[in-house]
Amino acid sequence: MKPGRYGLLTLAGLISLAPLLWMAVSSLKPGADIISSPFSFDPSHLTLTNFRTMLDTIPIGTGFRNTAIVVLLKGALTMLFCPMAGFAFAKYTFPGKRVLFATVLTTLMLPTLVLLIPLLLEMSQLGWVSTFQALILPGAIDAFGVFWMRQVILAIPDELLDAARVDGAGELRIFTSIVLPVIRPGLAALGVLTFINIYNDFVWPVVAVNDEQHQTLQVMLSALAQNIRSGQLGADWTSVWGQLLAASTVAAIPVLIVFVVLQRHLIKGVMAGSLKG
Amino acid sequence: MATLTEATTTRRAAHRVRRRRIPVAPYLFVAPFVLVFAAFSAYPIFFALQLSFTNWHGAGALKIVGLANYRYLLTSPDFWQSMATSGVLWLLVVPAQVLLALTIAVALRKARFRGVFSAALIAPFVTPLVAMAQVWIILFDKDFGAVNHGLSALGLPAIGWLTTAAGAKVTVALLVLWRTTGYAVILLLAGLSTIPSDVYEAATIDGAGAWHQFWSITVPLVTRTLSFVVVIGTLTVFQLFAEPYVVTGGGPFNATRTAGLYLYKHITNSDLGLGAANSMLLVLMVLALSLASIRLLRSREDS
Repeated sequence: MKPGRYGLLTLAGLISLAPLLWMAVSSLKPGADIISSPFSFDPSHLTLTNFRTMLDTIPIGTGFRNTAIVVLLKGALTMLFCPMAGFAFAKYTFPGKRVLFATVLTTLMLPTLVLLIPLLLEMSQLGWVSTFQALILPGAIDAFGVFWMRQVILAIPDELLDAARVDGAGELRIFTSIVLPVIRPGLAALGVLTFINIYNDFVWPVVAVNDEQHQTLQVMLSALAQNIRSGQLGADWTSVWGQLLAASTVAAIPVLIVFVVLQRHLIKGVMAGSLKG
Repeated sequence: MATLTEATTTRRAAHRVRRRRIPVAPYLFVAPFVLVFAAFSAYPIFFALQLSFTNWHGAGALKIVGLANYRYLLTSPDFWQSMATSGVLWLLVVPAQVLLALTIAVALRKARFRGVFSAALIAPFVTPLVAMAQVWIILFDKDFGAVNHGLSALGLPAIGWLTTAAGAKVTVALLVLWRTTGYAVILLLAGLSTIPSDVYEAATIDGAGAWHQFWSITVPLVTRTLSFVVVIGTLTVFQLFAEPYVVTGGGPFNATRTAGLYLYKHITNSDLGLGAANSMLLVLMVLALSLASIRLLRSREDS
């Protein structure tokens, strides 16, 4: 029983990690080696050529800059708006609350693809196509985040808030100096989930942006793959595979660092989705 | 909704004092959510509904064409092919995912080093999808890919993973399965953690074997989480966009043109009225499938 369990878990873990390891190792091999012997590992053959040529051919710095702008601003708004709304739903009664909360729950079920066409048109009416506003504002709220923050804030005892009110604290003060500090662990988990979602977002950026100046990293990567598929490779196409792997590795590094450092929070966040859902 | 009413009644007394004042604060706190939602979700949805009855192509006045878009789609082989493609991917992904995730979660429940295993399992879910899609293109290449290299080392023939209709579907399904199964494991682990261990102890005393315990305790008690996993899987598969977009571009011969990619085609063709109608059909489909999965699993729970 026991060896079977650990055998199964080890196998599952290896299958999870193998493509990532393969990507990282292969990005350090000359293009010809990736093709002729994809499983070989010869330290004397390892090279940074793929990374160097990638830097020459792809404006990956711009991609990183754009992604950073979107992650920081959109992430900050989400991390502020979700606890705010969650607080209102958890600790106040007000006319319209039921309708608004039902709206949050419905939004959870709504396929994002549905919004693609009308949102794109709205952006063009606003003159926002290929702008940072278009990348940041439409997703600045997250129904799951609101729902989950409400659950977290419900656990705060009312006495704590009422005591602060007796001491003369205003509602905003209560939110910033009691609620936000108390929910820090939940907020951290929301932060990791939000970061990963925004960093990896693809569908909306690919629709909303048509110019290279505003392209996020993910859109840039996919454009590279399109070039490969459409056969615009020229003679040296083995090196293009190497570049592709180098770019993919570079794109994966920031999110993997965040993940390794904060994975406990992330797993807590994912688990909250199942227990509270 | 149950928790909402519960919370309201238990705290009604505390709120009575506050209720006499005009409640301004809660409105200020929900205002950002309401504004963003109204501007970028509610308005677009109503706009899409309106568009779906027009033949708009992106410029000029809206011309109402009634149900023509819906009639066109519902009689179009392309539309049904895209739905069928999503359906096939659902069959390839969701049952396998439920089985795998449940097996792994049960094994993980009482294992040591749970943190390490959980981290390894969820790593695919956090790595950028587009990056992994590139890796898939290279791994599954017919002539030079590592997968076929492995097959030929075992003396097996090379498979046209990306060049045949069936192969491309399987390749995309494997990517989805690889990326999302760890997430489902973590969800199920959370569900399993709510089962008190004395239930199992009692069953062991009664002489129930591991297999019997699994079917008569574990599965019924995680039905709620299982249905959640199925709903999320269904939503994921029917909205599948980035995986086929990057790995196969919908090909070969539209074999991987999912409902999501077909919808995108209307955008690139500027058939926006038609696309809006397609969106509406997709919403209905996704909602119906989610509700059906929930009901199916709930009825199992009741029996």
